[in-house]
Amino acid sequence: MRARRRVVTSSTGRVTAAKRSPTVRKIKSAFASVSAPPAPSAPARPARSIPVPVAVATSPEIEIDLGVDLGRGLLLRNPILVASGTFGYGIEYGEVVDVQRLGAICCKGTTLKARIGNPTPRVTETPAGMLNSIGLQNPGVDAVIEKYASTWAAWDVPVIVNVAGESVGDYVEVVRRLEGVPGIAGIELNISCPNVGKGGLQFAIDAEAAGSVTGAVRRVTDLPLLVKLSPNVADVRPIARAIADAGADALTAVNTLSGIAVGPTRTRPLLGNIYGGLSGPAIKPVALRVVYEVAQVVDIPIVAIGGVTELADVLDFLAVGAIAVQVGTAIFADPTLPVRLVDELGAECRRRGLESYRPLIGTALPKRAGAPSARGVEYRP
Amino acid sequence: MATPTADAGPIEARSRDPARAGRAAKPAPMRLAGAELLDSREILPGQWLQTYHAPEIVTGSRAGQFVHVRTGDYSGMVLRRPFSLNTIAVAAGTLTIHFRTIGRGTEWFTHLRPGERIEMLGPLGRPFEVDPRSRHLLLIAGGLGMAGVRALADEAIRDGRQVTLLFGGASARDVYPSSLLPDEVEYIVATDDGSVGHAGYVTDLVPDYEAWADQAFACGPLPMLKALARLAASRRTRMGVASLGRKRGGGKPITVGSAQARRKAFLQVSMEQNMGCAVGACLGCVVMSTSGTPQRVCREGPIFAAEEIDWEAGW
Repeated sequence: MRARRRVVTSSTGRVTAAKRSPTVRKIKSAFASVSAPPAPSAPARPARSIPVPVAVATSPEIEIDLGVDLGRGLLLRNPILVASGTFGYGIEYGEVVDVQRLGAICCKGTTLKARIGNPTPRVTETPAGMLNSIGLQNPGVDAVIEKYASTWAAWDVPVIVNVAGESVGDYVEVVRRLEGVPGIAGIELNISCPNVGKGGLQFAIDAEAAGSVTGAVRRVTDLPLLVKLSPNVADVRPIARAIADAGADALTAVNTLSGIAVGPTRTRPLLGNIYGGLSGPAIKPVALRVVYEVAQVVDIPIVAIGGVTELADVLDFLAVGAIAVQVGTAIFADPTLPVRLVDELGAECRRRGLESYRPLIGTALPKRAGAPSARGVEYRP
Repeated sequence: MATPTADAGPIEARSRDPARAGRAAKPAPMRLAGAELLDSREILPGQWLQTYHAPEIVTGSRAGQFVHVRTGDYSGMVLRRPFSLNTIAVAAGTLTIHFRTIGRGTEWFTHLRPGERIEMLGPLGRPFEVDPRSRHLLLIAGGLGMAGVRALADEAIRDGRQVTLLFGGASARDVYPSSLLPDEVEYIVATDDGSVGHAGYVTDLVPDYEAWADQAFACGPLPMLKALARLAASRRTRMGVASLGRKRGGGKPITVGSAQARRKAFLQVSMEQNMGCAVGACLGCVVMSTSGTPQRVCREGPIFAAEEIDWEAGW
C-alpha cells in the first residue's frame, strides 16, 4: 500500500520537477567542475535524469559553484535562503528584491486551517535583536496554494513551504495537500514555534515526538523535507538525531529563542502574547553553538539561521558545519542583503581561489569528526 | 471659524484635476532610495521636524503614506523606523517627517546633520482617499497624530477644498505651531490642561463641525480614534439623513482595505502599530477588522475607514 503511494507521488513529482529543472540545469554544469561530483542520479530523482544542455554563463568571470543539494532533488542555485516569516510569500518586497537570485524562499508558516494569530503588539525591538509573536497568522494551506502556488511555479527560485500544526495529524494533512502541487519545492517542518500555546514547540523539545512527527510526514511525501530545530532545549543533539533517523532530508537550525519584554508602564509584559521569539544578531552565538553540535551528530545537511547580517556571519555558519544559511530579521533593515550575500560569497570564493564554496564548510569542527554532509541524503525508497 | 455656508470653490474644476484621475491608477511602487537631510529643527520640546531630499520616494506618494527609514546602527537597532509623510513637495523632491524623541531610534535621527544621507523605503501603505464630492474636510490630530494628517491639509487645499484642523495636545507646549500650517487651514486647538484653546479633549470639538464636514480624517492615540469612530458610527442617526445624496453602503459589498471603502467612509483613521518589515511580509503590525481578519497596518493601512476597524477587539 505504502509502496504504491510512493510510485504515484513520484510520478506526480515530475510536475514539480518541471519547475525545478531550470535550477538544476544551471547547477549541473557547475557540478561538473567539482572534483567529486555527486553520484549519478537514481531514477527516483527525476530532476537529475533530465538531459542537461550547457548552462548559460551569466557572469563574465569564472563561475563559482555555489550550488547546494538539500536532498531529494532539492537543488539550490546558492546557499542563501530567506527565512520563514520574514519574507512573506516572496511577493511582498516587489521590485525591491530580485527573488530569482535567492537560493530558496521559505514562506510564512502555514497551517491546515486559517489562523488569525496573536494579539498585538506582536513585534518589538530588543538589544541587537527583536521579539516577535505573530502566532502563525496565515490563511490556511488551501488558500496559500490557491493564491501563491502558480506564482511560485513560474519562478526559478525554489519555494519551501514552512508547515506548522498542533498535532501530528495536522502536519500530515497539510503536507499531503502540498504534495504534487506545482511550485512547491520542499517542506520545512516548523516544530519549534515558540508563539503558539498548543502544539508547535512541544514537538521540538522531545526527541521521540520530533522523530514521530518527522516520520509521519515522511511517510506521506516525497517532497524534500527540512525540519526546523528549536534552541529552547537542554540538549539538541538527541532531537536532531531522532529527526534525521526519521527520514528528514535536512535540518534548519535554529528557530527563535523564547523571551519576553516589559511594557513601557511596567504593568505588564509588552507583547500581546506575553512570550515572543528572539531573533537577530543577539542569537547568533546560540545558533552557532547548535549548528556546531548538530553537525557532529547527523549526516544530513544543516541550514543555519540566526543573526546573519553580513558575509562574516555566513562564513561562520559554514565553518561550524552548515551547508547553507537563511537570512531572517536582517531583511527588515536591509531587504537587498540576501542577494548581496550571494555576490559576496562568490567574490570571497574567487578571492580565496576556490571553485566552490564547499571547502568553507566545517572548517571549525573538531578534526576527529567526519566531514559534515555537503549534499543531500540519497533517496531511500 | 468655518461655517456650513462657507464657499468651497468650484467643484467642476476639481473633478478634472489630474490628481483625481490618479485614484484609478495603481499607487506608486515602493522604492529603496537614499535621502539627504536638508534641515533638522526641534519645533517643540522633544519634537523634531526634518526635511529630506528624496526625489525617488516623493514621486507619486500621497498623504497618509509613510516611509520606513533605516538607522545607521544596525547591530544596535535591527528594525527600521516608520514615519508618516508629514509634508510632500514633489517639485522640490523633498519630504518632511515629524517625530518625538521616544527611544534610541528617534534619538539617533536627531543627531543627523544636514548633508548626511540615510536610506528610506517608500512610499508605503495606502493613502487617504477623499471623495471627489467632499468640499469640507475635518482633520483631527491628537499630539504627534499631526504628522499623520498634515500632508492631507496641503493636498486638500491644493484641490480647492476647505479644511478645518482640530488639534489636541496635553498643554500649550505641545501645540503644533500654526506658522507651520497653510494659511487656508482653520486651526482649532484643545489642550488637556486648558493652557490654550478649549480645555478638554479634541473630541469635544468634533460635534460642532461634523455637520459642516463632508468627511473626517483622524490620526492620534487609540482612545481618541475610538471615540471618533463611535461618533462617526452614530452620526447618521443623530443627524438624520445627512449623507448629501451618497449611497453609502449601497450597491455591491465593499472590500476591506480597498480605496473605495475609504473614499465612501465619513471617517478615515491613520492607525499605528509596532512594525517589522513594513511591506506586509512579517504580519507584525496588524489591527483587527470588523470582518474578523487581521489587517496589516503597513499594507492594507495605515489608513482605514473607521468602520473597517473592530475597535472593541483590544488589538
